[in-house]
Amino acid sequence: MSRLLRGLSCLALLISSPLTLAFGLDDLQRQLSEPAVIKGPFIQEKHLRALPQPLLSKGRFVLARDQGLLWRLQTPLRQDYRISAAGIARRDPGGWQALPGKSAGAEQNRLFFAVLQGDSSGLQRDFELSLQGDAQHWRLRLTPRSMLLKQVFNRIDIAGGRYVERIELLETQGDSTLLRMPESRSASLTDAERRDFAE
Amino acid sequence: MPSERLLPRLFLLLVLVVLMIAGWQWHRGAPLSADLMTLVPGATQDPLVQRAEQRMQEPLNREMLVLVGHAERQQALDLARQLAGQWQASGLFDNVQWSLQTDLQPLREQLLQGRLAMLAASDRALLLEQPDSFIEQRVQRLFDPFAGASLVASQDDWLGLAGRIQDSQPRPANVQLDTASGALVAQADDRHWVLLRARTLGNAFDLRLPLQVADLLASSRVEAEQSGARLLAASGLLYAANGQRQASQEIAWVGGGASLGILLLLFLAFRRWRVLLAFVPVLVGMLFGSVACVALFGQMHVMTLVLGSSLIGVAIDYPLHYLSKSWSLRPWRSWPTLRLTLPGLSLSLATSCIGYLALAFTPFPALAQIAAFSAAGLAGAYLCAVCLLPALLEGVELQPSPWPLRIAQRLVELRQQLLDKVPSAGLLVLLLLFCTAGLWQLDSRNDIRQWVSSPPQLLEEAQAIARITGYQPTSQFYLVRAADQGQLLERVQALAVNLDELVAQGKLKGYMALSQLIASPAQQRQAREAVGGLRDHWQPLLALGVPEQALEAELKGLQSLAQQTIDQVLAGPLGEAWRPLWLGNDAQGVAAIVSLQGLGATALLRQQAEGLEGVQLIDRLGELNQLFAATQVSAAELKLLSCVLIVLLMILPFGLNSALRIVALPLLAALCSLASLGWLGQPLTLFSLFGLLLVTAISVDYAILMHEQIGGAAVSLLGTLLAALTTWLSFGLLGLSSTPAVSNFGLAVSLGLVFSFLLAPWAARRDGAHHAS
Repeated sequence: MSRLLRGLSCLALLISSPLTLAFGLDDLQRQLSEPAVIKGPFIQEKHLRALPQPLLSKGRFVLARDQGLLWRLQTPLRQDYRISAAGIARRDPGGWQALPGKSAGAEQNRLFFAVLQGDSSGLQRDFELSLQGDAQHWRLRLTPRSMLLKQVFNRIDIAGGRYVERIELLETQGDSTLLRMPESRSASLTDAERRDFAE
Repeated sequence: MPSERLLPRLFLLLVLVVLMIAGWQWHRGAPLSADLMTLVPGATQDPLVQRAEQRMQEPLNREMLVLVGHAERQQALDLARQLAGQWQASGLFDNVQWSLQTDLQPLREQLLQGRLAMLAASDRALLLEQPDSFIEQRVQRLFDPFAGASLVASQDDWLGLAGRIQDSQPRPANVQLDTASGALVAQADDRHWVLLRARTLGNAFDLRLPLQVADLLASSRVEAEQSGARLLAASGLLYAANGQRQASQEIAWVGGGASLGILLLLFLAFRRWRVLLAFVPVLVGMLFGSVACVALFGQMHVMTLVLGSSLIGVAIDYPLHYLSKSWSLRPWRSWPTLRLTLPGLSLSLATSCIGYLALAFTPFPALAQIAAFSAAGLAGAYLCAVCLLPALLEGVELQPSPWPLRIAQRLVELRQQLLDKVPSAGLLVLLLLFCTAGLWQLDSRNDIRQWVSSPPQLLEEAQAIARITGYQPTSQFYLVRAADQGQLLERVQALAVNLDELVAQGKLKGYMALSQLIASPAQQRQAREAVGGLRDHWQPLLALGVPEQALEAELKGLQSLAQQTIDQVLAGPLGEAWRPLWLGNDAQGVAAIVSLQGLGATALLRQQAEGLEGVQLIDRLGELNQLFAATQVSAAELKLLSCVLIVLLMILPFGLNSALRIVALPLLAALCSLASLGWLGQPLTLFSLFGLLLVTAISVDYAILMHEQIGGAAVSLLGTLLAALTTWLSFGLLGLSSTPAVSNFGLAVSLGLVFSFLLAPWAARRDGAHHAS
């Protein structure tokens, strides 16, 4: 469902945004757009209620403030994703393929870029936001506002220090997803990455 | 004479009876209708096609689609919420919906139940042909952070069937769900548009509801504009409201204008207040006409009323017939004059009725109504003029103004001077030249859209809504029949394959078919068997740590899923949009609609159904337009037939030669007005043709008047002039109507009347003193 996707893409952004001053939401948001490019590894744990051990996947991400997000899954399977103004695309042997139903102008993209530009109102419409802690150790809790989202998510917890370090997504069905990004850092785009965004 | 006392009383009794019938007809509300479809021939007797058409028309006539647009998204949402509240409270609507407060639990249940039945065709093909890829894609999806969460939890859907069905559900092209509010929002022209759907309690053909809805919309529009928002609305109701408003305005114009003009003319010409009583036959005529129409058809269409109001000008001819004799008969006395003119009056009634009733034999209920209304109206007016009016005018000493007679005399002289220079034969040649050249330029055009006036604002808004939402319903659709559900779904699928091609070629915007939602029983069986084979391919899932017994349990669950019927799938929340398509069972079998988006070329659409058994394209408007063209031919035949009848009627009093002459002149007048339409660049429509049919009947009167020459050439011409003027007044006013069909009718009749008047003097007996050739 698109609203889930949107929630996730917001999170993906938040993950990789450095939050220097976390006392107020405005301060937090102002920091989001500061670094031009952030890179780092990610570890995704999908805890499914019926599985004894989580589904583990690893990879690297590149968040470019003005271009979008590259999400490179490396294990257990290799798959590249890209979120940009044009929508969500997946790389197959023939190049980047836009995913149908997730095109430009879609709601999730609008929100995605609202977040990218530090517009907290976009998130606040869908979620109740509560921020705790200080710039070094903060924790942001997103509680769904609408009846629709409440039937999908219990809540979303984001925590970090200088950068976002973990995101936990708790679904009403009992499954949860934990994303960790332990070593994010500010960087610049390589030529290959620039090409990926341009295609 | 005893009859002079008896007749008025008997007639008053008759009027009383008719009044009582009218009272009974109207006591449960006005028996009026604004439904255009009651005016056109029921193209089909097939009850299933009729039911399908009703199903497709229903939303057009009961629903209103509104877009609330504002530059600020939140403002647009707030306004939509507020508007929905106000409208719901108005009591006009059954339901005003602006946000989808979906309960996800039933959705989850339907996805689980429908895992085999609702699997999309492409997913089923993958399952059957490439089970390895099927499993591989499932694994990918489990790791895909952007795939979005499935509604059904992973442990209930390890094989991912429910997830695939969820993903394959069609999404509206341009409209997005606003998760916070549940509203549907589109973005266009720098505004956010919130979609609002209102369903009325009654339908567009109630007489009051459309006006109330239109008023409510208008006031909401003003309010919205104050806060910088725009409202766009589309609904059949708005067209109905507009049509009704226009009809009542036009009835007032035509009826009021003609009445005023006629009263003024009566007073100026005859200079007696009591002469205004000559208007009574007109009122009686309208009463008889409407009672007969409601009695025969159960109701009266507003268009009949508009066209019927032109009857005023024809009905007044009967009193004028004998009032105009006051210029020559001194002293003028009502009963003796009536006796003198009675044969002419009766002939005139007969010819007019023949003309009107010829309309009744066309396949158009619209014209049958007008014919019944007019024939009964004329009969009423005639009876009143013959039985009652002389009594009302008894003892009146008519001293008509001398100036109308002077004008008539001057006209007779002018004609004589003209004939002295150019003989009749020469004039006829000139006239025929005029006709030939005019007919050369005449083109025929027929379209049901001429029957409704479509104000540009309504059209523009409907187009804007179609552009912004990408939702373009059309009246064309396919009807698919079959013996049972399995065959039905297979037939729909075969059609869908063809339609997919059209969509890919950009020749069709889209379509909705039950096959998009549910697989046939045979396909469900196929899917069930194929699922069993997944056991050999699910190694990658086991590698992830999914317990084998969980997969086995799911497999068992899948294979024990009962086969789903169309009714079961439609009952669930995912079936909502498809419900109107299912026509259910009848004695012949089952049937469904395949609806289309965006107008397609009829020929192309018909081609898609070729060779497919049980598939039929229903294109009512296209069929109607064809029918119009076909009816033109039969109208021309009717016209000739009515002329033959009139000739037969005339032979008795006038002899064959004169009868032919009396009928030839109106025919020539009709030809001239056809030619004038060509010169004026006006198209020949079915309606103008019917107008000319009518002209023939009316102008036979003028020919009779001129032929009889009671009171001399000038007095006869004056009588004709007065009759033509009053008739022309009412039909000329119809020409101002904003409904193309009505104005076209008015124009054709007006032109025909002018020529009828000009040609009428040639109907005079050959031995007439003024005949030059």
